[in-house]
Amino acid sequence: MSENVIKVSNLVKSYSDVRAVDGISFSIERGEVFSILGPNGAGKTTTVEILEGVRNRTSGDVQVLGQDPEKSRSLVFKVGILPQDFSFVYNSTPKEALDFYKGTLRASSDLHEILEMVELEDKSSTPFQKLSGGQKQKLGLALSLVNNPEILFLDEPTSGLDPRARRNIWKVIKGLKDAGKSILLTTHYLEEAELLADRVAIMNKGKIIDSGRPMEIVERHHEDDNLIIRGDGEVERLLTAGGFLFHREGAYLKINLKSIKDATEIINYLYERKAAFEDFTLKRESLEDVFVRMIGAIEEDESE
Amino acid sequence: MNLNRTSAYFVLHAKSYMRSRSALFFQLAFPIILILLFGAIFSGSSYSPSTLIVQNESPSVASWGVVNAINESGLFKVHVIPENENLTKYITNNSVEAALLIPSNFTTNIYSGGKGYIMLEGHSNPTVASVDYQTLNGIFTEINFRSSNTTQKLVLSSQIAIGNTGKTINYYVPGLIGFTVLSTMFNMVYTVPNYRREKLFRQLSFSGLTKSEWITANMMFSFLMLILSDVILVAIGIYVFGASLVLNIQTILTSALIIFGGLFFFTSVGILAGLVSDNEETVSVVGNLVMFPMMFLSGVFFPLTFAPAYLVTISKFLPLTYFINSLISVLDYGNISSVALQILWLLLGSAILFIIAVTLFSWKQK
Ligand SMILES: Nc1ncnc2c1ncn2[C@@H]1O[C@H](COP(=O)(O)OP(=O)(O)O)[C@@H](O)[C@H]1O
Ligand SMILES: [Mg+2]
Repeated sequence: MSENVIKVSNLVKSYSDVRAVDGISFSIERGEVFSILGPNGAGKTTTVEILEGVRNRTSGDVQVLGQDPEKSRSLVFKVGILPQDFSFVYNSTPKEALDFYKGTLRASSDLHEILEMVELEDKSSTPFQKLSGGQKQKLGLALSLVNNPEILFLDEPTSGLDPRARRNIWKVIKGLKDAGKSILLTTHYLEEAELLADRVAIMNKGKIIDSGRPMEIVERHHEDDNLIIRGDGEVERLLTAGGFLFHREGAYLKINLKSIKDATEIINYLYERKAAFEDFTLKRESLEDVFVRMIGAIEEDESE
Repeated sequence: MNLNRTSAYFVLHAKSYMRSRSALFFQLAFPIILILLFGAIFSGSSYSPSTLIVQNESPSVASWGVVNAINESGLFKVHVIPENENLTKYITNNSVEAALLIPSNFTTNIYSGGKGYIMLEGHSNPTVASVDYQTLNGIFTEINFRSSNTTQKLVLSSQIAIGNTGKTINYYVPGLIGFTVLSTMFNMVYTVPNYRREKLFRQLSFSGLTKSEWITANMMFSFLMLILSDVILVAIGIYVFGASLVLNIQTILTSALIIFGGLFFFTSVGILAGLVSDNEETVSVVGNLVMFPMMFLSGVFFPLTFAPAYLVTISKFLPLTYFINSLISVLDYGNISSVALQILWLLLGSAILFIIAVTLFSWKQK
């Protein structure tokens, strides 16, 4: 049985006017990358900051490495944190920042190795404000690694970065995952969660809607596949006669497929009856569609 | 409080500070420019004995003693005019710059245990007037010191004592030291809202650093910079403009103590101002609102001897006034004992304010 490094149950955080986190529970195993995936304002940062001990919770139980982060200041020495909107002291260089962390955390880590790992060696003497967005994030990552932490909290590590810088950060995170770190990663990019996480919790409006392995979530929530063709009223009549489920979207007809194999059957059926149709495509829902639909559905519920 | 973490932050802070040209400018270059400027402007008014017209309407041993002391100081050439002369007319007719009137009730007041008031009149040039005023006040202070009967007081104004040689530069050195101490307030005024907005306190807390360690490291560094810039100020004052200051181990240590108290005081004010808002601009407006009146009304740039009474009253409520007065007393007179109590109060007040500021200043997010 593997051990839980983080345990959260019925966590609630209320600000004066909102319930930012509304009774969530989850746990993270040692060596696991766990991602909280959710749109802006879902409550991801609030959750992470409560785990880091930066914020106090309203109610619920939280344990990080068996300790309550609200009470244990020593946790700072065991976890690594890359906060959302990471920033550092103006005019300080990555080298100085790392030296500082090493000094305060009394760490024995090899700073050069860390700089190498995040690919920041050539910028080690550049003042912070002159680093690019991606380089800043890399410094943030490097700082979170100085104490060789058991757990890493990465809050939206690639938000606002260009695709190349994003891929760079992903590479570093993958390396950390391979090194066996337990990682709590929040993101609003589905691709990121899908790529890096062992397990994902989809969060919206303070609640976890679903969680599990990314594929499990798709399996549970995806809609049937569709065959989309361009056709007129005649095609529509034929489909009705054939007992197929479909609906019209502009010039297109979206035909519901119980199984992806049904697609050939439908095409044959129409072809044999000499129906005039064109532009056919198969459409299968991705995790992205599932995610967007889940978030959207909840928002519609709320507005009723 | 962990010394290890404090020194780690001290190093980080010092290195980033050294890279900041504007910070270095305001800390080091600006006070130097000011003293060079003041020194140059007032170097002409360094004291050569000028004529002081004296009219004594209250002839007595006491009043003539005062006139004699003024004459013996060598700082004025005393010229006595008869009692029945109309002083105002005399001033106008002879373009007198400085005339001293010992009023008819002077002797009675002194002997009845009260204060003997003396009026200085007849000036056209405020700079000369203020220098004369200070010089006379200095002489009177000395007379007061020497007199064994402590109730016997000569009063020109209770405002400011002046240097032993009456040179303007002697006055500006302590004033500008006061200015450097005051400007440390701005380290905090800019840093606190900026760090809060950029969430740097949160980031620093991830390193295990605490707010007290952060403040301590900041103040240690500010103190070093203050000592550095103040040593430069004193050196320029002495070697460039010939200021004569009383420098010995006691006065130097006492001055350092006053500067240290001032640092605590203005760091606390800076933190409190920084807590008012997260917006640096708002805070800098607030900071300047505190700084500018204080700078002008505490006598950093010019003595308040000729200011209207209400301004003098206001200045008595400004802490900087006391820092500067203590420094003047210590550096210009070598007189520590008479301001010891005042220094103690300053340190005590600063400590209390500091505790309030540190308590209200939280790194934790709501
Ligand atoms: N300090 C705060 N005071 C009041 N409301 C806040 C505060 N911080 C966050 N919120 C609100 O809590 C909700 C969740 O915010 P956050 O945890 O930052 O979400 P996410 O990180 O998922 O974008 C949002 O509605 C946000 O406006
Ligand atoms: Mg967030």
